Amino acid sequence: MQRTSWKSKATSSLFVLPYLLLFTVFLIAPIVYGVWISMHDWDLLNPVKEFVGLKNYLNIFDSESYLHNLFFEGLKNTFLFVIFSVPLLVAVGLGLALLLNALPKKMTGLFRTAYFIPYSVSVSIVAIIWLWIFDTNSGLINQYLQKLGFSAIPWLTDIPWAWVSIIIATLWWTIGFNMVIFTNALNEVSEELYEAGSLDGANRWQTFIHITLPTIKPTMLFVTLTSTIASFNIYGQPYLMTRGGPGTSTQVLLMNIVEEGFNQRQLGNAAAMSILMAVIMIIISLVQFRLTREKKEAVK
Amino acid sequence: MRNTGFKIFIVTLAIVIAIFFIAPLFWMLATSFKTDQEAFTSGIKWIPEIFTLENYTYSLSGGSDTPVFTWMSNSLFVGIMGTLLVLIVDTLAAYGLARLDVPFKKLLFAMFIGSLTIPWVITFLPLYMGFNQFGLLDTYAVLILPYSANAFGVFLLYQSFKAFPKELEEAAHLDGANKWQVFIKVVLPSVRPVIWTLAIFTFMSIYNDFLWPLLTTSSPEMRTITTGIAIMQQGSFVSSPGRLMALTAIATIPVILIFIMGQRSFIKGVTQTGIK
Repeated sequence: MQRTSWKSKATSSLFVLPYLLLFTVFLIAPIVYGVWISMHDWDLLNPVKEFVGLKNYLNIFDSESYLHNLFFEGLKNTFLFVIFSVPLLVAVGLGLALLLNALPKKMTGLFRTAYFIPYSVSVSIVAIIWLWIFDTNSGLINQYLQKLGFSAIPWLTDIPWAWVSIIIATLWWTIGFNMVIFTNALNEVSEELYEAGSLDGANRWQTFIHITLPTIKPTMLFVTLTSTIASFNIYGQPYLMTRGGPGTSTQVLLMNIVEEGFNQRQLGNAAAMSILMAVIMIIISLVQFRLTREKKEAVK
Repeated sequence: MRNTGFKIFIVTLAIVIAIFFIAPLFWMLATSFKTDQEAFTSGIKWIPEIFTLENYTYSLSGGSDTPVFTWMSNSLFVGIMGTLLVLIVDTLAAYGLARLDVPFKKLLFAMFIGSLTIPWVITFLPLYMGFNQFGLLDTYAVLILPYSANAFGVFLLYQSFKAFPKELEEAAHLDGANKWQVFIKVVLPSVRPVIWTLAIFTFMSIYNDFLWPLLTTSSPEMRTITTGIAIMQQGSFVSSPGRLMALTAIATIPVILIFIMGQRSFIKGVTQTGIK
């Protein structure tokens, strides 16, 4: 068995090599190249790419520069979406999982499928369906509202309605994912704890607060983290449903990066913006991770 | 018992919520069978008054600007090839790292897992530029290759290879099988469910991807169905909800079919992305 010769190592390496190659070419190299681009005045139409060091980054932080507005307004709008969508994605996801859990066993599968099906379609389909439902004149919701004697709501053309519409469509589309993760976590809460709880005369609410919640805490963290990251990457919903409007109020950061890079052809600026956005995302994940770790230690 | 009342409440609630999830898809289907006139003016009709297939025949006839079959076959081709590529390189790498004497094993594994925390936004622009420089924009290469760098599959498979009993491999080795034969004949068949999970997951995420194919394809023949639809929505279908919904329904059918067929694996995959 002691055949760990160079020959054996070589054949073993062949297993990892194809992935390592793709990993290097399509992940590592682009990151390095992105940093390189971000340090140039990189205009797609201008063959001369001048090295400018950190100038693109400094421009983003210079309130005189148009980049400043482009970045921070986009960031503000993205944050707005994250702040409202993430708590809903977590709470409603957990709510649905609890509901599935409380259902008679035979029905669980059916309802889980019903709630999860929208997750299987793409964002362009989500947008088209909901655009038509939210349409001011012939949309489903406004027709019902008018039937009931209310006036029509400008779902897509007014603030805050545009955000409300985007968030409803997003919940409909993605909540199934969080629900399934929570369902799994709930199944792992031990029966004995519940039995002990009911012996102590705990009601449903007390059981939930004192037994269920503490047990699924790691899952809460995971779902909050993945939902935050996913919400940060929002692009398709506002791009297709509101075109960033009304005005620029649903113009999210990713849209501004694409605009600066692909329509204005200022690749250096766009690369600097995307690296900054990635850094912010990494910091937020680290903070969320830290916070729950500290809480855990404080409990101990 | 007061429990019966609670149960009725729970089931009713579940049904009301299910309607919220299913109704939009049903409304899409209903609209796709309506004439545009009816769609715009006739109020709420869950069943079309005049039932027409015109929207479907128009979309499928591949009129000048809607090569639906091309888009659909592009999406299927890209999805299948991307998935195969991911499966091949990921199973190999995960097995190598989990079981074989690969040099710098720990470092490589840490690097791959670490990459899962890197936001995708950091790579899409330089990736686009790279493909541009090699003249590969608007080709299948740009639509397939980038998905292969994702370490999720390596991570998923690594776990199950670690859990695989070593004795079985050793027995095969004693019978004279080499590493490759052990991998193909003994190890792979045992992790088939995980491979299915990864396959469905990967296929659906490639088939449904939006921004990347939108940015990297420009000719109507290279579009995928999701980007094709988005372009029709702003283009010549803008005033025809019937046609748009028919197109949407056509695009939805394959994924929903795959989803329902592979539901168990898919849900397991979602679960496994969670932490234990």
